[in-house]
Amino acid sequence: MAGGGGSRKSRAAGPVPPTTTLVLDNGADTIKAGFVSDDKSDEKPRIIPNCIARDRHRKICVASELEKCKDFSEMAFRRPVEKGYIVNWEAQKEIWDREFFDDKAPQKCNPSEARLILTEQPNSLPSLQTHCDQIVFEEYGFASYYRGVGSVFNAYLDIQSIFRTPQTTIDSPAEVILLIDTGYSHTTVTPIIQGRPLHPAIRRLDVGGKLMTNYLTRLLSVRHFDMRNEPYIVNEMKEAVCYTSLDFKGDLEKSWKGTRGEKREDYVSGAGIAKDYVLPDSHTRFHGVVRDYEPGVSARARKGMVSTEDILTLRNERFVVPELLFNPSDIGIRQPGIADLVKQSLLALPIGLWPGLLANIVVVGGNSLSEGFCQRLQTEILKRFPDECRVRVARPEDPITSTWLGAANFAKHEHASRLQVTKQEYEEHGAAWVARKFAAGLGLDS
Amino acid sequence: MNNFGVVEVASQKTKNAPGWAYVPDTGLTPAAAAALQPLNRKRAARDKANVVGAPDLTARQDAKIRKDLEALDKDSHRDAQIPIPPRAGGTRAQNKHTPNVRKILQSQKTFGNHLDDYQAFLALAESNPQLAAQVNKPTPTTTARNSPAPSTITTASTNKRSSVASKRAAAAAKEEKSGGSNNKRSRTQAQQHPKQADDDDLEMTDAPEPTTAEPVPVSESSEPRPDDTPAPLEPELSEETEAETESKPQSYPPDGTILPAYNRPPPAAHPGDDDPLLVSRVPPFPTDEELRALMTAPPLSYLEARAQWDEDEGGRYPVRRFCEVCGYWGRVKCIKCGARVCALECLETHREECLVRYGL
Repeated sequence: MAGGGGSRKSRAAGPVPPTTTLVLDNGADTIKAGFVSDDKSDEKPRIIPNCIARDRHRKICVASELEKCKDFSEMAFRRPVEKGYIVNWEAQKEIWDREFFDDKAPQKCNPSEARLILTEQPNSLPSLQTHCDQIVFEEYGFASYYRGVGSVFNAYLDIQSIFRTPQTTIDSPAEVILLIDTGYSHTTVTPIIQGRPLHPAIRRLDVGGKLMTNYLTRLLSVRHFDMRNEPYIVNEMKEAVCYTSLDFKGDLEKSWKGTRGEKREDYVSGAGIAKDYVLPDSHTRFHGVVRDYEPGVSARARKGMVSTEDILTLRNERFVVPELLFNPSDIGIRQPGIADLVKQSLLALPIGLWPGLLANIVVVGGNSLSEGFCQRLQTEILKRFPDECRVRVARPEDPITSTWLGAANFAKHEHASRLQVTKQEYEEHGAAWVARKFAAGLGLDS
Repeated sequence: MNNFGVVEVASQKTKNAPGWAYVPDTGLTPAAAAALQPLNRKRAARDKANVVGAPDLTARQDAKIRKDLEALDKDSHRDAQIPIPPRAGGTRAQNKHTPNVRKILQSQKTFGNHLDDYQAFLALAESNPQLAAQVNKPTPTTTARNSPAPSTITTASTNKRSSVASKRAAAAAKEEKSGGSNNKRSRTQAQQHPKQADDDDLEMTDAPEPTTAEPVPVSESSEPRPDDTPAPLEPELSEETEAETESKPQSYPPDGTILPAYNRPPPAAHPGDDDPLLVSRVPPFPTDEELRALMTAPPLSYLEARAQWDEDEGGRYPVRRFCEVCGYWGRVKCIKCGARVCALECLETHREECLVRYGL
């Protein structure tokens, strides 16, 4: 390193600022990636599974090769991102190489002539951040680079159109938003003013999509089949069937089978809650199918009369799983639910900011796709704050890619050029300086 | 059934690190110490049950919950060791990695290991005042201006020929770039450009100079606003209060420089505007200084950002309990193991596999 880490690539590192930007939202489950440049930008990111998977024939697929797979039964995954942070660089480098830097990569990118904008989760460990910066500059040699908190990039979206507020001008970044990011690893609440996160008020709840899938797996394994080796299938099922209940008590009552010998009407008819889920059999059907509940079907299947398909009847599993976001204590997690998370975050701020933040709550992340999530969140938050505060909760059209879209807007914004660090600067000042610069953020002058 | 009177106490230290790792040794907490050696023998049994979990959880149930949660937190049911497959079209041109990169790529540490290292580093810095003096607060909560982020500790401390302890601390913080070459480089750089690094830092430190041109908004907003002054809360907050921007010169937020005042035309007047019952009470808007402090505050550490239950348990709703078989409310407790079930049918199912044994 003494001679400057990137000397082997210094031929390309000229003083010309890069015109293309690789925007990378490196999530634990999927990478959202696309290019932004002055003349031609990607409308939408490519969504790449961020994992190395092995199926039951011990065939291994890396990242986007997974799309070609058909049979997902007994698939095991290795993920480079743990708890939202890139931990295993051996695997992450392999995935990045195959997707972006190899000769035949689907999104070919020449790092020495490109800028990288990479998202990270808030409150990372300093050692992991340093690793990331070192890999970006010393291994790949990007011309310039910015690593920022993923939720903050959402401020560069047209927030008021998500709320359908009539407006004339678009603020970029948005003045005030309270961003809730509920992803694969955890759920975070981030208040953002003028594109700057209010760090003392960022709070995290360690409930995410992974935990919910695992919980559904456990419920199914206790009540139906052993699904513990089928994370992919259970995850697919969770996305298809689970919903956020607006009346938890009532729904639970409806889905109860009753005491011994009792035939409760709601239970027999399904009461609109019960659904049949046909499992993939990996011969003719590779994806599960949701069907309306038919009272006789599963009973007949159990007797072996129509045994061509495996049917699971899902009742309270459908709403108990997303309920974990609102009541983590249901399975013994000693943390507050998502609405109390918002409250704890706001308690760290002056009361004068509450009205603005509460009226502009934006939810992103895959878990927010569950039906009824925004409505439930809004009613729960309403209960916790003074009546006079208006609470608006909105979800962008596609909550999974919205962080990437925000980051793409950020790449065109002048803030990006203020925040980025060039390879030269890295070589001159070292990784510690880069970490400090990224931690300091935008500052106030604008 | 026979566990020889041994009850497994829930433990959080389950990480097995590749090679070795620093683990914080914080000693016994007063509560745990009291449980082990109670002053009052009469209440000992009760206190022991209460010390870790919720009141009616025994140590065994607590251990079970913790184990379940750990299982839920795993990526896969079995620990799958998936190797990286060889490339289809031959190996890619092998670049020579720099030492830092090689170290990072070879590291098999998990997030838990990294977190342990970080905690151990914090604990060491706390117990070692010498180190603490060098790095006045080694968490990421240090301000960017006054003290370096943890990653700079290495260079700073080794440059000053510091003690072995601080070196070990730096190693604990996993600053793997701590090789001598790096220090040499930064030192020579510092000699070449003696002032540049500092200048660049100051550029990012958000000194409060940019807003000095307008002293008015600060003084105005720092005036205590009478509590009953009706001021419009937010553009979409309420129409009644909106209209009063016309009559009152005050605006909300006050003309700060960070968040500009609302300057679009207010909605039409409403007959109920003057009704004292409809008036909104608005808390004072934070001053520019407060906002500046918030917006430039450094990030919290990983553990600080984790949401916790409030200390006063009285304000919280009681924990809901569910039937372990069917998921309905857990209204009945199994006599043997304390698990909750909903009714007789589920209790029978539960009894078939109700085991009370060591470690379960």
